[in-house]
Amino acid sequence: MMKALYRSRLLSGTAFLILVTGATYACGDFLEGAPQGALDEQTLANQAGVEGTLIAAYRVLDWNNGVGGDWGTAASNWVWGDVTSDDSYKGSEASDQPNVTDLELYNWTTGQAESYLNDKWRGSYEGVVRANATIKLLNAVVENNPAEISQANQERIRGEALFLRAHFHFEAWRMWANIPYYTEDDTDFRKSNVGVDPVASILSDLDQAIQLLPATQNDVGRATQWTAKAYKGRVQVYSGDYAGAITTLGDVRTSGPYALEQDFSRVWTGFQQYSNGPETILAYQASANDGEPDGNNANYGERLNFPHSGSPFGCCGFHQPTQNLVNFFAVDAVTGLPLALTDPNWNARDANLDATASAAMALDPRLDWTVGRDGVPYKDWGAHAPGWIRAPAYGGPYSAKKSAYESASGAVSNVGWVNTQLSSMNIHIYRYADLLLLLAEANVEAGSLEEARAIVNEIRARAGMAAQGPGTSSSNIAVAINDPSTTWADYQIGLYPGPWTDQAAARTAVRYERRLELAMEGQRFFDLRRWGIAEQVLNAYLAVEGTRRPFLTAATAFTARYNLFPIPPIQIELSRVEGEDRLQQNPGW
Amino acid sequence: MQRMPQGRPPFRKGRFDFFRGVGMSLLFALVLVGTALGQQVQVSGIVTSVSGEFLAGVNVGVQRTDIRVTTDAGGRYAITAPADGVLVFSFIGYRALALNVAGRSIVDVVLEPAVAVLDELIVTGYTEQRRADITGAVSSVDVASMAKQSSASVLQRLDGRVAGVTVDASGSPGSRTTVRIRGVSSFQNNDPLYIIDGTPTEDTYINWLNPNDIESIQVLKDASAASIYGSRATNGVVIIETRKRGSSTTPRFTVDVKTGMATPVRGYDDFLILDALDYHEIVKRSYENAGLPVPTNVYGDPNNPTVPAYIWPNDGVNQTTTVDENTYSFPNTLIMPGSAGTNWWDAVFDPAVVTDVNLGMSGSGEGHGYNVSLNYLNQQGTAAFNRFQRGSARVNTQFEHGRFTVGENLAVAFEQFVGGAGDPGGFAEGGILGKNILMQPVVPVYDVGGNFAAGKAVTLGNQSNPLKEAWANKDDIGKNIKVFGNVFAGVTLAEELQLTTKFGFNLNEQSITGYDPIDPELSEPSFSNGINESYSTFRDWTWSNTLSYSTTLAGRHEVDVLLGQEANQNRSRFNASSINNLITTDINARYIQDAIGDPDTKNVSSSGGTGALLSFFGKVDYNYAQRYHLSATVRRDGSSRLGPNNRWGTFPAFSVGWRMSQEPFMQDNQFFTNVMLRFGWGLTGNQSIPTGRIVSQFGGGRGDTFYAIQGGNTIAAGFRQTSLGNPDLKWEENQSINAGLDLEFFGGSTSLVIDVYQRETDNLLFDPPTPGAAGVAAPPIVNIGKMKNRGIDFSLGYTGTVGAGTWSASFNGSHYRNEIVRIDGVQDFFYGPIETRYGNQVINQIGYPIGSFYGLEADGFFEDDAAVAAHATQDGAAPGRIRFRDVNGDGQINLEDRGIIGSPHPDFTAGLDLALQMGAFDFSATVFGTFGNEIFDVQKEFYVFRNFSTNVRSDLLTDSWEPGKTDAKYPRLDANDTFSGQQISSFYIEDGSYVRLRNLQIGYRVPQSFVPETRVYVQAENLFTITGYSGLDPALPAASTFGAAGDIRDQYRGVDRGAYPSNKTISIGISAAF
Repeated sequence: MMKALYRSRLLSGTAFLILVTGATYACGDFLEGAPQGALDEQTLANQAGVEGTLIAAYRVLDWNNGVGGDWGTAASNWVWGDVTSDDSYKGSEASDQPNVTDLELYNWTTGQAESYLNDKWRGSYEGVVRANATIKLLNAVVENNPAEISQANQERIRGEALFLRAHFHFEAWRMWANIPYYTEDDTDFRKSNVGVDPVASILSDLDQAIQLLPATQNDVGRATQWTAKAYKGRVQVYSGDYAGAITTLGDVRTSGPYALEQDFSRVWTGFQQYSNGPETILAYQASANDGEPDGNNANYGERLNFPHSGSPFGCCGFHQPTQNLVNFFAVDAVTGLPLALTDPNWNARDANLDATASAAMALDPRLDWTVGRDGVPYKDWGAHAPGWIRAPAYGGPYSAKKSAYESASGAVSNVGWVNTQLSSMNIHIYRYADLLLLLAEANVEAGSLEEARAIVNEIRARAGMAAQGPGTSSSNIAVAINDPSTTWADYQIGLYPGPWTDQAAARTAVRYERRLELAMEGQRFFDLRRWGIAEQVLNAYLAVEGTRRPFLTAATAFTARYNLFPIPPIQIELSRVEGEDRLQQNPGW
Repeated sequence: MQRMPQGRPPFRKGRFDFFRGVGMSLLFALVLVGTALGQQVQVSGIVTSVSGEFLAGVNVGVQRTDIRVTTDAGGRYAITAPADGVLVFSFIGYRALALNVAGRSIVDVVLEPAVAVLDELIVTGYTEQRRADITGAVSSVDVASMAKQSSASVLQRLDGRVAGVTVDASGSPGSRTTVRIRGVSSFQNNDPLYIIDGTPTEDTYINWLNPNDIESIQVLKDASAASIYGSRATNGVVIIETRKRGSSTTPRFTVDVKTGMATPVRGYDDFLILDALDYHEIVKRSYENAGLPVPTNVYGDPNNPTVPAYIWPNDGVNQTTTVDENTYSFPNTLIMPGSAGTNWWDAVFDPAVVTDVNLGMSGSGEGHGYNVSLNYLNQQGTAAFNRFQRGSARVNTQFEHGRFTVGENLAVAFEQFVGGAGDPGGFAEGGILGKNILMQPVVPVYDVGGNFAAGKAVTLGNQSNPLKEAWANKDDIGKNIKVFGNVFAGVTLAEELQLTTKFGFNLNEQSITGYDPIDPELSEPSFSNGINESYSTFRDWTWSNTLSYSTTLAGRHEVDVLLGQEANQNRSRFNASSINNLITTDINARYIQDAIGDPDTKNVSSSGGTGALLSFFGKVDYNYAQRYHLSATVRRDGSSRLGPNNRWGTFPAFSVGWRMSQEPFMQDNQFFTNVMLRFGWGLTGNQSIPTGRIVSQFGGGRGDTFYAIQGGNTIAAGFRQTSLGNPDLKWEENQSINAGLDLEFFGGSTSLVIDVYQRETDNLLFDPPTPGAAGVAAPPIVNIGKMKNRGIDFSLGYTGTVGAGTWSASFNGSHYRNEIVRIDGVQDFFYGPIETRYGNQVINQIGYPIGSFYGLEADGFFEDDAAVAAHATQDGAAPGRIRFRDVNGDGQINLEDRGIIGSPHPDFTAGLDLALQMGAFDFSATVFGTFGNEIFDVQKEFYVFRNFSTNVRSDLLTDSWEPGKTDAKYPRLDANDTFSGQQISSFYIEDGSYVRLRNLQIGYRVPQSFVPETRVYVQAENLFTITGYSGLDPALPAASTFGAAGDIRDQYRGVDRGAYPSNKTISIGISAAF
């Protein structure tokens, strides 16, 4: 008995001591585990935090890092605007980036197409999320610490964020039309896309931005009041409000800070001194050698779109211009106007238009700023050659050229996988020539044909200022279009003699000009859809082009449903609430 | 005939578990009270078998103490024991015997053979238990058999040895191991918890642990056994005990030396095209069948192809026949000769030597015991420039003084991995395996200047030269310094009351240095090189305190009580840096310094994590007359990773057992020597997620939030939300039920153990994707999913005699079925974590096992145009291309026709262990088999569909579809066919079943007159494999796969992306003791 008592005392005594020890751990915040190496929201609740959050929203203008989104979120929209149109093929070889092949061949219900569509969806809304995060954080700082950010800065920041929110929604709207609109007040991310008027919301955000933004900014990358106004006009044209567009864009043309560059060589260039020139309205500000170890801030979205193996770039041969596009640059040797206006056989040529073949051909000088052709200098990299092409039997003999930087520009990245594909060359998202052509388009639709003609001629006059020459420095890459050194073409460009009286003819002229000026800039497919002629143009294109590039014969016929991209099914699934899909698929998909 | 004792951790205090009361001497001082123990005497004797053979390695212990020795080669032992104590003799294959010392100084013993191991003491969680008393699902590993393998990690040797345990690893030296116990129960990490000498760790390498040091391994498979480890025990527990002490007062020295030669079990050169012109034939047919002109830039005229004099330079149109080799200049003007047929596999893989040297010293004396060992392992990789080396030392000592026990188990190891032939990247393209080794045969290994060559011309692809990859990584070294162990102290408070405290530590420091060369030889060249290095430190400590009490009431009620408390904290820190564009690539200059490269490219970052666990637990074991057993456990755990309100989880368990053979009605039965029915139920927890996820995190990086807002190349800082927090995170809980039957019959020569179980995991920790509109911040981790595993494990053992020899066989098998029951209440599925070139072939879908294969169903090839017309509309349909099944019958082949097309989970896995002892010779063999698991062979993208112009299988020449060919294995060679291969389909799936002779060993004991106790042996590992799998090696390692919520490799299994194959290793060895 004594022994048992003794034991139990001992037992309880020891147990007590152990518990005391344990309690010591518990009291000492032993189980408190703060995240390591991360910021919290409070740390950012000040001006620096708000400004930084805004910077992160701008970063999404070209956005391939972080999401694993490959090239579906490139600033230039080359996948969505060009490969799906008659301007370019996916290029390279059959099996690389098969996702883009599925988009090219209108196999839009495959898993591979879905993955790209999903990237574009997520990239667009990540931009929206970051813009809204800026506004939310700004509101919180203003409420809790009104003196932290000056009134002027508050307005500027809010204006920029609203502008960016409008831009990212516009990107999504152009793709899918039926999209939900998210503001800083939203906490439910499974909103419906039914009964939504995204255009009204975009315009409302832009109007607010116009009110809030200053006319000029110190940083070239920031949106100004004029950026927002120019963008508003763009949205108005896209949504068919031509009268509104004429007012908005006319104001920008008359009073705004923009102008055309003196010649075409300065529009797409790696030379820093020509970046952010008068023609730039909104561009992705690429940077190279900025300390980012993989070159992710360079024009990453374009990195595949350089000539391949034997070229100085080495990779990857994507975004190859079509034969159709090359043929489209032929001009009438007498008038200097597009041959396609007058010659129904303008697209007859199947063979490679290399320097020899084109030596005596009348060509729009913009061809050789847009397309890399054999024997023709590729900016200042020497003559483009057959060995630069990855798989000529597949993607044809041409290379993309606009997004290539000049050797002498020094824009190349020092780092990254195949560093030669990365550079600090900016990517135009919206340039003044685009604005002018949108205004011309609105004028045609509104019946102001002569206004349109004046604009088209302004564009053409600039196009005639310079041709690709054999030079190797910033001062001599471009030469006069009749320079004797340009032995590979007879460059001609004529102005439209007046007056324009036939609306249909004027419409055709404006649309042709838009293709010539903005070819390979990620616009074409959206233009064809906006004009309501995508089905007719693309089926005709496929019928002919399929004889040149057999892989195109596998394309699915273009029908009405292709006027909108399918909403990525995975996003519809993720929108489900209590068994009901909040996102409704687009018609026909 | 020295067999290793099984499951004997000699230093532990009998059934009185050592109670790890924290080592606070103050505490001890407070409780220091007690009575004198009995008088100690020295006892010695000889242990023999019934046939008179001296038995070496027999465990002799003093009951209810941790005093224990083993017999030497002459069967001799010497031990200090209380004059009134009880000696327990136990040895595998023999009936254990307990004898009263009764004041004797010599106790000779004869052991009777039996398979029964019922009286053996095994460690099952803070305590030891008699095998007979165990009511949970606990398997012991045959350590002696396991020792006959040469892999660096002990984990890799578990394969096929325990029913219900599977092991995956690659053939790369020192590679990671994936051990799974009874399938997969979580979307997160499913690694079991390892308890090494009482100190927990979750480590998928354990390369630092010298397999030679191991004395016993127990696998706790069900919750009723494992729940004493509560948190982290969801995936089962593997308890490893190292050798603690020798048997004699004079030190016993052992030397074990083994050396072997390893070759890959199979090479790509066994089934790829090796001749350049044969390869051209593939290209030619592909283009001709597509109606395209055949490229001429390499082989010239397609109708009269020749191996080119040079593949580079090349103008893209014409074969290069002459080049002035004097113009060669590295790196800008390279000249590469054409090769008639490079065997790339042979260029990279070679036989490799494995050497393992162990020195040991052990002994014991009055009041102390020790075991000291040294190990050196050098394992060359079969791939060039790749090896693993380990040096380790272990010191285990223990001292007893009166009622006190103190000691430590300490291992110090240095590991070094050289060369970077690791896991392939996401597209099966990284590393030197993957697609790189599929270089075309016309490409030479070296260019004319002696530098590495590659397929620079168009049509030759852009694979890296795999030998160059290996060469460039030859100075990439990963070093690991590990200190792992514990110090412990125990005190016997009263006769049956024991307090133990143990402080365990796990310190790790790792460094990795790497080099990326310029690649001017590539078709897609890169001229930017760089170096990188990283350091990580890991500090983990566990302090446990236990109090145990044991009593027998009224002679028939045995009660053991355990109370304990444990605290654990871990911190990790990781630091990485790099610099590019090096001024010099000299190995001695490879430091991150401004002057050594381009300082603008210098990049430094660090990260870290910290976590803590606090636990209280208790256990009661009761049995009545060793007939009715009851065990109950409860553990309460608090985790810093979980929400403040849900931090604490309670994990109860109970199990019951009925030893029917003890019943009076069985007493006359001559057949069964043991019949035990067991049933257990228990809850275990899981919190294997990154730390810090209960709050939202913000951050950013130069590459994804910084932006050159001012133009130019100066970037401004940007911030974004990087992850969404969930303050309500709580424990993932696994509820498991186990029913088991243990049988022993034929006089104890045969045993059978069967367990059936169900494991249901609820509140699965999981980060379901958020809608795109919520942005790309890492989704919050939530507790919402549910998963279920059902299965059966069994093992059958037999020991018999043949002439003068003995032989034994044990066979184990297991089957499980895994099913996802719920994901998040919204989604029916989510895709796997890794996409390959053609998309994602893995899905996690309700009603199916985790990581199922998903895609279209391939249904042969279109015979002709009529067959195309008769079929549902299918993109790219043409004769000779793959026909996909219109699963939903809507007349169209599209995403809707996708479904589950396979599973990486086996239907059945089995292991067979055979041993024969005949005079001085012994023989053993281990066979492993897995059946019904499927492999998704991503490499077919390359070696069948020639994506990126890789080399292809040689049978494509003969077995590709042609008009009229009805037995084609592959679709038509067609350069325009981007449809057959680019759809993820069942065409990629093959049966991954295989049977492999893991190990075969023949040993010979040298007569002792010649040298003392020497055994020599030869062994062969992976000598043959029977499989229908057409790829390299069906034994695939699990890919390294991490999500925002942690290690998720179980969502991605059975996908062949070009893994380092297993090796066939032939070794000779010698073991000596004196």
